[in-house]
Amino acid sequence: MSELIVLALKLAFLAALWLFILFVANIIRTDLFGRKLSPAELAAAGAVAAGDPVPKLSKRAEKRLPRILKITHGPQAGVELPLGQPILIGRATDCQLLLDDDYVSTRHARITLGPAGYQVEDLGSTNGTFVNNQRISTPTPIGPTDGVRIGRTQMVLEK
Amino acid sequence: MSDVVVYRKRRGAELFMLLLALAIALGGYFLIHLNTDGELPEGWPLTIGIAVAIVGLAHGVVRWRLPYADPLILPMVVLLNGLGLAMIHRLDLGGETRMYSAELQLTWTAVAIVAFCAVIVLLRDHRVLNAYPYLLFLVGLILLLLPLVPGLGKENNGARIWIEIGPYSFQPAELAKIVLSVAFAAYLVEKKDVLALAGGKLGRIVLPRPRDLGPILVMWLASMAVLVFQKDLGTALLFFGLFVTMLYIATERPGWPIIGATLFTAGAYAAFLVFGHVQARVSGWLDPFSNFDRNYQVIQAQFGFAWGGLFGTGWGLGRPNLTPLAKTDFVSAAIGEELGLVGLTAVVLIYGLIVARGMRAALGARDPFGKLLAAGVSFVFAIQVFAIIGGVTRLLPLTGLTTPFMSQGGSSLVANWMLFGLLMILTHQVRRPALEPAPAGPVASLAEEATIVVKTPAADPAAAPSPSPEPVAKPAASDEATIVTERPDTDEATVVTPAVSPPRDELTESIFRGES
Repeated sequence: MSELIVLALKLAFLAALWLFILFVANIIRTDLFGRKLSPAELAAAGAVAAGDPVPKLSKRAEKRLPRILKITHGPQAGVELPLGQPILIGRATDCQLLLDDDYVSTRHARITLGPAGYQVEDLGSTNGTFVNNQRISTPTPIGPTDGVRIGRTQMVLEK
Repeated sequence: MSDVVVYRKRRGAELFMLLLALAIALGGYFLIHLNTDGELPEGWPLTIGIAVAIVGLAHGVVRWRLPYADPLILPMVVLLNGLGLAMIHRLDLGGETRMYSAELQLTWTAVAIVAFCAVIVLLRDHRVLNAYPYLLFLVGLILLLLPLVPGLGKENNGARIWIEIGPYSFQPAELAKIVLSVAFAAYLVEKKDVLALAGGKLGRIVLPRPRDLGPILVMWLASMAVLVFQKDLGTALLFFGLFVTMLYIATERPGWPIIGATLFTAGAYAAFLVFGHVQARVSGWLDPFSNFDRNYQVIQAQFGFAWGGLFGTGWGLGRPNLTPLAKTDFVSAAIGEELGLVGLTAVVLIYGLIVARGMRAALGARDPFGKLLAAGVSFVFAIQVFAIIGGVTRLLPLTGLTTPFMSQGGSSLVANWMLFGLLMILTHQVRRPALEPAPAGPVASLAEEATIVVKTPAADPAAAPSPSPEPVAKPAASDEATIVTERPDTDEATVVTPAVSPPRDELTESIFRGES
C-alpha cells in the first residue's frame, strides 16, 4: 500500500478511537436528563422492576419465618396480627395496623416479605421507624430478635 | 402527585456503542494485516463472526437480566479487550517465530464473557453477598497468600504472584481482588459507626479503639507479606489501598488515609532498604540508564514510546517485540508505540471513564453495601491501571500487575470480567426506578405548615419552664450518642406552645430511654 493510504488509515483509526470517547461523553451528557414518568407509568415500570427476579426463599427458610406481629408496649399492647400479606402501619383507616398515636404518621411504615425474610420499610414518616433503636432509612430485614418501634408502640415478630 | 424522573434504560445506546467498539477493535486487527501483508487476514469473516457472537451474548444477557444497567461500561470494556487482543495478535506476528497466543486469548475472552453472564444470571442481587464478611475475608487472604505456599507458588520475573497446578498457572491475586472487595464492603457496613465514632482523639484526628484496629493491622501485615515475600509492590499497594479507601469512604474520617499512607510508606521504605529487588525497581524508575542490562525492559519501552511519538507508527509498523513481556506487563508500551501518545491517551481516558461510571453508581446507590462495593471496586480498578501504566511510563516504580482487559492472561481476564458483571448488577439496582415512591400526599412537610407568633415563656411567667417543641435526647444503646428530636405529627398547622406538648406517660419515657 502507498504510504499516504497507510497514514490516512492510521489517522482514521485514531479518529475513530476518539470518536468513541466523544460518543461516550455524549451518552453521559444525555444520561443526566432522565425520563419523566407520571405515577401511573411509574407503577407500570415498577411492576416491570417488581417482576425482576427477587431471590426466593427456600422451603426451609420459609418454615423458619415468624408468623405473628405482636405489640409488646404501647396503648395496644398484646395485640397480635398474622403475618403473610404486607402490613401497612399508620393512622389512616386503610392501614392493617391502625395506631392512634400523635407520633405516628398517616401512612407510617409497612412490613413486607423481602428477599431475606420480613422487612420493615419507612414510608417517609415524620418521626421515623426504629429497629433496635436505630432509625431506618432503607427497607430493613427484621427477625424475631429485633424490636421495632413506631411512635409509642413497640412490636416484635414471633413464631 | 408530581412526575418522577427516572433513568432511561439506554440499551439501544449500549448496542450502538458495542458495535462501534467492535468496529474499532476489528479495524485494528485488519490494519495490522493491511499494513504488513497488504491484504486482509485469512478467515476474517470467521473472526468477525466469533467477535459478534460473544459480544452479542453479553449484550443479550444484559438486556434480559439488567435492563437498567449502565450503558457505557460494557462497550468500554469490550473496546479495551478488543484492542488488547489486536495488539497481542500483532505481537504474535512480530516475533521471530509465529505464535498463537491471540487465539488462546480469544478463547479466554469467550470464557470470561460466559463467566460475566453467569455472574449476572446467578447472582441477581448483590446484597446476598453482604452476609459473609469474615468468611470472604479469610478466603481472600488465603488466595492472596497462596503463591507463598512452597511447591504451589512460582516465581516469575522476580515476583512470586503465580501458582502452578500441573500445566496451568494462575494469578490468585486477581480473584482475591473481587473476594476482598466484597468482604471489606460487608465488614465496613457493619462496623462503620464504631470505626468512625468510638475511640480517643489525637488533636483533630479521631483514633479508633485498639480492638477496632485488628482488621486494618491484619490487612497491613498481609500487604507487607505480599511486599516482602512475593516481592510485588503493585499487589501490596492494590490491596492495602483498597482497604484504606473503603475505610475512608465508610467512615468519612481523614485520619484513616493518613494512618494508611504512613504505614504503607514506612513499610515500602523499609522494604527498599532491606531488599535488593525493590532497590532495582526504584533505580529502574529514577535512573534506568545507570544499568542498561538490568533495566533493559524499561529502557526498550521508553524507546518504543519515543519512536511512536504523537501519532504512533501505525498498527504493525513499529517494533514493540523488542520489549520483553510486551504482551503482558508492557502491552501499554506496545500501544504507545503503535498508536502513539494520541492512542495511549485515549486508552487511559477509557479506563478513567470506566472508573467514573463506577463511582457514579456508588453515588447513586441506595444501600450502604452497594455504595461501598461500587466505590471499592472502581477504586481498586483505578489503582491497578495507575500502578501498571504508571510503571510502564516511568511515573512509578514498575510493578507486576496486569493491565486490566488488555494484557495476555486468562485469570486476569476472567476475574476482571466477573468483577464488572458485579458492577453491572450494582448499576442496574441503582438506575432502575424505585419500586414505590414515598407517598407524598398525606404526610405534610414542615414547609407547608403555617407560621404563627408564639409567646415566649419569658413573657408568660405562668408557663412551665419545660422546653417547648419537645426535644428529647435519647441515649442510644450503641457507642454513638444520637440526638433525636421528636415532633408531634399532626395534619393541621401546629401551634407550638407548652400547652399542646403531647402527653407523655411512663411508657413513653421508658421507650425513649431505650429500656424496653
